[in-house]
Amino acid sequence: MPVRLREERWRQTASAVYLSLPVRGLRVTPANIFCTERYLKVSIPPFLFEAILYAPIDDTNSTAKIENGIIFFTLYKKEAAMWDSLTLANANKEKLQYLRENAVLKAHEKAKEEAEAKKVTKQEHKKYVLEATMRLEEAERRRIEDLKEKERQKVTKELELWKKQQEDAEKQKRVQKEGELLPEAEQLKEKKKEKMNNTRIPNEGTCKPRIKATKGCGSYSMFSENLKEEQLPAPRSAATIKINFTSRVFPTALRESRVAEEEEWLCKQAEARRTISADLSELEDLKEEEKNPDWLKDKGNKMFATGNYLAAVNAYNLAVRLNSKLPLLYLNRAACHLKLRNLHKAIEDSSKALELLTPPVPDKENARVKAYVRRGTAFCQLELYTEGLQDYEAALKIDPKNKNIEKDAEKIRHLIQGTTQDT
Amino acid sequence: AAGLERPQVVSHAQQALNYTLFDCKWVPRSARLLCLGSAARGSGLLQLYELRGGRLALLREIEKAKPLKCGTFGATSLQQRYFATGDFGGNLNIWNLEAPEIPVYSVKGHKEIINSIDGVGGLGIGEGAPEIVTGSRDGTVKVWDPRQKDTPVANMEPVQGESKRDCWTVAFGNAYNQEERVVCAGYDNGDIKLFDLKTMSLRWETNIKNGVCSVEFDRKDVNMNKLVATSLEGKFHVFDMRTQHPTKGFASVSEKAQKSTIWQVRHLPQNRDIFMTSGGAGSLHLWKYEYPAQRSKKDSEGAEMGVAGSLSLLQNVTLSTQPISSLDWSPDKKGLCVCGAFDQTVRVLIVTKLNKV
Repeated sequence: MPVRLREERWRQTASAVYLSLPVRGLRVTPANIFCTERYLKVSIPPFLFEAILYAPIDDTNSTAKIENGIIFFTLYKKEAAMWDSLTLANANKEKLQYLRENAVLKAHEKAKEEAEAKKVTKQEHKKYVLEATMRLEEAERRRIEDLKEKERQKVTKELELWKKQQEDAEKQKRVQKEGELLPEAEQLKEKKKEKMNNTRIPNEGTCKPRIKATKGCGSYSMFSENLKEEQLPAPRSAATIKINFTSRVFPTALRESRVAEEEEWLCKQAEARRTISADLSELEDLKEEEKNPDWLKDKGNKMFATGNYLAAVNAYNLAVRLNSKLPLLYLNRAACHLKLRNLHKAIEDSSKALELLTPPVPDKENARVKAYVRRGTAFCQLELYTEGLQDYEAALKIDPKNKNIEKDAEKIRHLIQGTTQDT
Repeated sequence: AAGLERPQVVSHAQQALNYTLFDCKWVPRSARLLCLGSAARGSGLLQLYELRGGRLALLREIEKAKPLKCGTFGATSLQQRYFATGDFGGNLNIWNLEAPEIPVYSVKGHKEIINSIDGVGGLGIGEGAPEIVTGSRDGTVKVWDPRQKDTPVANMEPVQGESKRDCWTVAFGNAYNQEERVVCAGYDNGDIKLFDLKTMSLRWETNIKNGVCSVEFDRKDVNMNKLVATSLEGKFHVFDMRTQHPTKGFASVSEKAQKSTIWQVRHLPQNRDIFMTSGGAGSLHLWKYEYPAQRSKKDSEGAEMGVAGSLSLLQNVTLSTQPISSLDWSPDKKGLCVCGAFDQTVRVLIVTKLNKV
């Protein structure tokens, strides 16, 4: 049960009611005061003061002043009339209750309305701001466009002016031309026609004195430009410059190729030619390059060239051990054996080379011709002339234009015929 | 605004065409321009336009048997203004536009399409005999003298047995007196070769890795000063041609400007340090070259070596979605230029404030 405060004092004028309520020692905050049109309540637990007002008041404009333990209410009446008393008399409990609830509801609604109104105003403010910024930006853009447009117009005007100047200048020229200098112009035209009809001027021709005549006329002031009709040098003597293009391993131009993939492919090719058979224990002694069959082949070739056939054979042997699939190694070793007169070995190697060189690709023609020739030579030196002739003929079939092979084949044929005659 | 102090590219006029446009050139000493290309029916078209007000008015249309690829006024006198063209069949023709039925000069110069043509010695610029150079897909570069029929006066061809590479662009340079002349040629594998016509020899070559779309000297009629070479993949190189090192050749600076091919480079006739590049994405870039403090220095062995300068981008603008394949500055009005793009439109542009650059 709250403690009711009853020491209020009030006075009134036609339009307002002044109510003072002592609240000794209590801390009052605006939250403790609740006021609607007909109901006023001050609640500071456990103290309570409430009044059902005689007549409705304008609660939005009414004020409450909290001061020194007294609250001063200034309530503006809705209707200017003198109240009989502050509160409504004979207010029974139910009515009070009802009024209270009503008051609370009303207050809620009011609060809601206020909140809504606030939201609406906020939105409007935002819209306004947005529009203002847009307007500003638009103005800026327009300004720049105007500047650009002005430039364009200025430039167009200049262009027109210049064009007019051109046309005027041309007109002048034409007028002058048609006037006095008609005969000379015709002369010039004829001379030019002559020039055009001239057929081939010889390459080493001297300067033809074509335009000397016009200079004599002298009245070509109508051409304000520089007449470059002085002696023109003769046409250049024809020559050809041969050029080479930057070489590439692949036939496509750099832009069409994929460099990384190409590099990969090239590396793989090189790898494939090396062997991975590092099982051979002797190979551990060798240096990296000595394990490369290509390098060994080159070494062998060099030694063959210098006449050191045994060493060349050694090189080729090692290369073959590393990679037994390279026909060139066998081919070259066959040549060495021929020189060393190891004819059976030569035949063996040439045969192996030929084996490796099937299928008969045009690229490998060269190598196959050599293989046949070497085997043929070996056979002949062993006096197996028929087999030798067979090989030579095979070589000729691949390369019919080779005179040496033809000659040798002839010789062998003669030899065969010679022996058959003997026996 | 600081941006507005830079040169602006203003679009002045444009014309939609109904054929594929390959080249466009100003007629010297006039406000007329020539457009040439290939019509849908497979014939060549040559159109003469005049700039009137803000529009292009068609004055004349000439149709020829083969599609036309390129043309130049470079080797004709100012009075005659004959136009030299190269076409898809490898024919070089010189036309008198007043009487275009029969060419003034005609030769089947190449076995395949003539990709690029240049002329020197005409228009009152430079000295020496007027000559025309053509570069073709058959890998040869030939120099012609209009006074000599049927055979070129110089022929730069691959060695016997060498697989040929397309020549995509040619340019004359160094024509500062009657004897001197060089031809620069760019090929599709990135080779750039400089031929000296006085000694009839190869003076310099290099490879810039990507196909060379366009080469141009900054001036044809002076001692060769600068050479710009543009290529695929958005790169172009500026070579300083004043100092040639015996092994390193010419110094260069390169710039990667656009993601796409740079189709053309053209120097401003009134200022040789300003040039415009046109790109495969339909954009134009205006560049200025700045010289270094010292144009040459000595290397470790005491040989003279060139020093390349620097480039600054003055302006860029995108005009079209298709590549801009041809570009020409007017020699008479500073800043006036015409460009033709593969969207079948020819545009006349004005570049402003070039005086202040």
